[in-house]
Amino acid sequence: MNSPEILLIDDEPIVGQRLRTGLEKMGCKVEVAQDPKDALAKIRGKRFDVVITDIMMPEINGIQVLETVKEANPDTQVIIITGFATSELAREAMEKGAYDMIAKPFKPADLRGMVAKAANEMGFTDIKE
Amino acid sequence: MTPDTIAAQGKNDIAADEKDLLERPVFSFRFQIILGFFTFFILSVVVTVGAMITINQIEKKITTVQTWEQFLFNIEQARRWEKNFFLYGTNLEDALSSTTEAQAILAENLKKFEGSSIPAAKENIKKHLDLYHGKLLQLNQLVKESPDHSIPRADLIENDLRRYGASIVGDAADLTAREHDLLFRWLQLVQRVPAYFLVFLFFLMIYMTRFLSRRFMKPLKYLVNETRRIARGDFTPVQPLRKFRDEFTTVEVAINRMLRELESRQNSLIESHKLRAVGILTAGVAHELNNPINNIMLTAHSMLDEYDDLTKDEQIDMITDIIGETDRSRGIVHNLLDFTRENKATYDAIDLGSLVEETTKLAKNQARVRGIPIKLDVQPGLPPVLGDRQKLKQVFLNLIMNALDAVGQNGLIQVRVRYHKLNYLSVQIEDNGAGIAPDVLPHIFDPFFTTKPVGKGTGLGLSVSRGIINKHRGRIEADSKPGAYTIFNVILPYYPGSANE
Ligand SMILES: Nc1ncnc2c1ncn2[C@@H]1O[C@H](COP(=O)(O)OP(=O)(O)OP(=O)(O)O)[C@@H](O)[C@H]1O
Ligand SMILES: [Mg+2]
Repeated sequence: MNSPEILLIDDEPIVGQRLRTGLEKMGCKVEVAQDPKDALAKIRGKRFDVVITDIMMPEINGIQVLETVKEANPDTQVIIITGFATSELAREAMEKGAYDMIAKPFKPADLRGMVAKAANEMGFTDIKE
Repeated sequence: MTPDTIAAQGKNDIAADEKDLLERPVFSFRFQIILGFFTFFILSVVVTVGAMITINQIEKKITTVQTWEQFLFNIEQARRWEKNFFLYGTNLEDALSSTTEAQAILAENLKKFEGSSIPAAKENIKKHLDLYHGKLLQLNQLVKESPDHSIPRADLIENDLRRYGASIVGDAADLTAREHDLLFRWLQLVQRVPAYFLVFLFFLMIYMTRFLSRRFMKPLKYLVNETRRIARGDFTPVQPLRKFRDEFTTVEVAINRMLRELESRQNSLIESHKLRAVGILTAGVAHELNNPINNIMLTAHSMLDEYDDLTKDEQIDMITDIIGETDRSRGIVHNLLDFTRENKATYDAIDLGSLVEETTKLAKNQARVRGIPIKLDVQPGLPPVLGDRQKLKQVFLNLIMNALDAVGQNGLIQVRVRYHKLNYLSVQIEDNGAGIAPDVLPHIFDPFFTTKPVGKGTGLGLSVSRGIINKHRGRIEADSKPGAYTIFNVILPYYPGSANE
């Protein structure tokens, strides 16, 4: 049995801290990045199954992350976390091949559900919410 | 005193202000000009009447001189006849009649002479004339008494007659000469006075012209300067130049009314532009609020889901996080509300550095959406400035939003707060955006000047900002190199006496 590799990117440290445990309990391997530059390096260096990224971060935004992911590995699914004023960006993200998006503020369970669904579609059938 | 003290005054004070102007004693230009002309008129009347009187006197003098000359003629005639009598024994009757004629002239005119000319001598002349006449009569008597024409003591009588005759002629000629002299002097006077008067009038007119034009020019120049001051955005009422009221007072009152209108309009313009900025900011702030709210939500849910698995330390960590994020939300809301709140135009001592920092925070979300960093650099230990917090925030926000509009990919906005030249601090907002073309640069502060599409820009941002900064006795300067950079420099005086140097 193998577990999906997940990368969670958000410049807000609390987001990573709180989501990590829940996702790990689901049976995922979770890496967290606060600095989007680190994240891009990680994406280039390693194949992830699911990348969860905040759309708005200093210097590098979610769209750039999405593009890098799709470049590095087109199979990787990207879930976009959006904010209030970024529906334009979110639409652009969907057009560019994002798997789904979730708006802040959200419940951890909702995100977990989304991740589980993506993992299932990718063949990780033992992943349950 | 702050430049806004006047603005802060109640309506009553403004009315009192106007009343003070209008209650001054009236001394209008109209009245002053009338006074000037009236003085001219009185002077002319005095000179004209003087001339008329003098001419009348001269006329009298001429008659007097003529009368004296006639008198002299008669006397001289009488003396000629008398001489003939002593030589040839003839003409005694003629001598007598000429003398009588002279006596009649003298008698008739003595009164007039008394009034009009030199005293003395006239009594003498009359006395000697009477004596002369007496001697002639005596002679006539003797001639009638002695038919053979031998007159006793004729030579004695002749001597007397000569003496009296000579004295009369001498006195009368002297008098005539003196009257002549007088007449001549009167004439000279009549000739000269108008010339003097003209010269006097000339200088008086020069003086009056200079006086009146100075009276006009000074307030005009003053008002021109005042309008310049007003154009710079200082709406303090115009102070009257004089203690009394004249036509310029009306102008001053009108200008002050206009100033009040301008001030209230500018304030509502500032207010509406602020509300527009708030509208733009709100979206960003709402987004900004999403982060702490999301953090609170995630943390609360985590606690709920895993409560039993959490160590005490983890629980405390999470609760601390919730408190911290609530605080953060409050800070964000507070910052917006502080800017939005109805403003009472109060002037406080402000730490410019932290004010600019709060402002950049307000704009930060706009910048984040666009992925544009705003770098803030505040020189430490700056003295405070005296100002209106909200209005100053509005200025810096306008400048930052303009910079945001101007930059594209790889945009960077740098905000610097530091000492300027003596007594001034400066806030520099620099961007590396499109820049401003040199032919556009002189117009950017004009109201309604915008290069942005309709709906995006009103063109009031810089105009309103300049108005606000001028009220703070500061200035805004713009410098730009198209394609390279744009720098807006806001220069404000710091609070007097608060510098630590
Ligand atoms: N940082 C800048 N870089 C380039 N151009 C600028 C900059 N700041 C101002 N301008 C120019 O000056 C003009 C006037 O600016 P102003 O802030 O008065 O109005 P606006 O920004 O067009 O409208 P509003 O402020 O109401 O949104 C702008 O339209 C723009 O052309
Ligand atoms: Mg503007």
